[in-house]
Amino acid sequence: MSLDYQFFPVSRPSEGGGGKTGNWRIVKPVVNLNKCIGCKACFLWCPENTIIPTDGKVSINYEYCKGCGVCSNVCPVKAISMVSEND
Amino acid sequence: MISKVISGNEAVALGVKLSRVKVIAIYPITPQTYIIEELAAMRDKGELDAEVIRVESEHSAMAAVYGAASAGVRVYTATASQGLLYMHEMIWWVAGSRIPIVMTVGTRAVGAPWNIWNEHTDFMSERDSGWIMAFASTPQEALDLTIQAFKISEDERVFLPMMVGMDGFILSHTKTRVYIPSQEEVDSFLPPRKQPYVLDPEDPVDIGNMFQPIDYMKFRHSMHLAMLNSKEVIKEIGKEYEKKVVPVGSYSSLNESYKLDDAEYALVSMGAWSLDAMQVVDELRNMGVKIGLYRIRYVRPWDEEDIKRKLGDKDGILVLDRSVSFGRGGHLYLELKATLPDVNIKGVVTGLGGVAINKDAISSLTKKFIEGKTDGEWFYPSEVEKVELRNPRYIK
Repeated sequence: MSLDYQFFPVSRPSEGGGGKTGNWRIVKPVVNLNKCIGCKACFLWCPENTIIPTDGKVSINYEYCKGCGVCSNVCPVKAISMVSEND
Repeated sequence: MISKVISGNEAVALGVKLSRVKVIAIYPITPQTYIIEELAAMRDKGELDAEVIRVESEHSAMAAVYGAASAGVRVYTATASQGLLYMHEMIWWVAGSRIPIVMTVGTRAVGAPWNIWNEHTDFMSERDSGWIMAFASTPQEALDLTIQAFKISEDERVFLPMMVGMDGFILSHTKTRVYIPSQEEVDSFLPPRKQPYVLDPEDPVDIGNMFQPIDYMKFRHSMHLAMLNSKEVIKEIGKEYEKKVVPVGSYSSLNESYKLDDAEYALVSMGAWSLDAMQVVDELRNMGVKIGLYRIRYVRPWDEEDIKRKLGDKDGILVLDRSVSFGRGGHLYLELKATLPDVNIKGVVTGLGGVAINKDAISSLTKKFIEGKTDGEWFYPSEVEKVELRNPRYIK
């Protein structure tokens, strides 16, 4: 649709260009699949695209998840808990 | 098409309704408040099928419509003066994201000192932000340009947001006869919105994220090219509008010329007082002075070729500015000087903060210019009585 000179500031989400960032984490999100209703709110909110919709539920790419906790906060059924990385 | 006696604000609100806008962010600021009140009332009566979002500031107003437009719907908001300055940051985000949006600016002086009357400085201070900027000179034109703005902004050759300026109070609150197109006429002209990318959870994209220097430079160049190419788009869409919607205006060119062909002198102006300037031209023509008027309708894109063609051979040009860049002069004067460096151009900054400039004032300014009693640029009125409410503290 766009013409030669048109250039848009758009990119697609991808894994981190700056290397694997999973080791920044202090706490990690853990999904309780029994509670998960597959609404994908966490997928929409994850700033790093590390939540992956899987079989109607979600899983997490720990190589890039920085443990920010947004997913846990937005989960309407409290299916994601943040647990210490050392546990 | 019917005609009614309505104000500029009502005309714009009707234009927005006819354009089938889906999301409107509203925040009141004089003198545009009546537009959004009118739109809210239309929604209340069920005439307008749009979400109306009441936001807490102009910054949020632009952010709200930016989000909605990113998701692919047609949006609208309006502002003025301090509100425009408050949304300045979002104005750049929208243009830089290449998101089509239409906004009305009911021009008004900027504080401090506080002043609610008309002036173009607020509007002109956004001219480098990447928005297409049109300025109406009648309520009819405000309606017409608003409807055209959606089509121009959403054209694949453009994809830039567009603001339509309108003199605060002088146009916004003055009622004149306006031809209002029917919904069918507007529908035949304005197709549903299309854009190259939208926010969609099924196909996620990131809009306006971090760019490395060389990509940023390439991107800025593409905005520049889109702005240059929009000139042809505006003419094309203007012609189509005349044919399909309202045949009373003339939109086949960006700017309008009046009695310029054989003129030795020319006036250049923008906005409502251009109509007074036309009368001055007629008056002076009756007195034997060969003078014409060039009315700027589009500040961005700037129609350099047309200005060179129409004004390049004149003996003298007087630019009437209702805005000022402190220490440099009126904005239009500076633009004209840059376009025609070899022509004798003088400018006058006047009408700031609502100073009433009628036909007689323009006439006397023009005569002063033709008699050569002027410097490069001057202020009118430049001598005003100083207002002292009390002695400054350091005076005992």
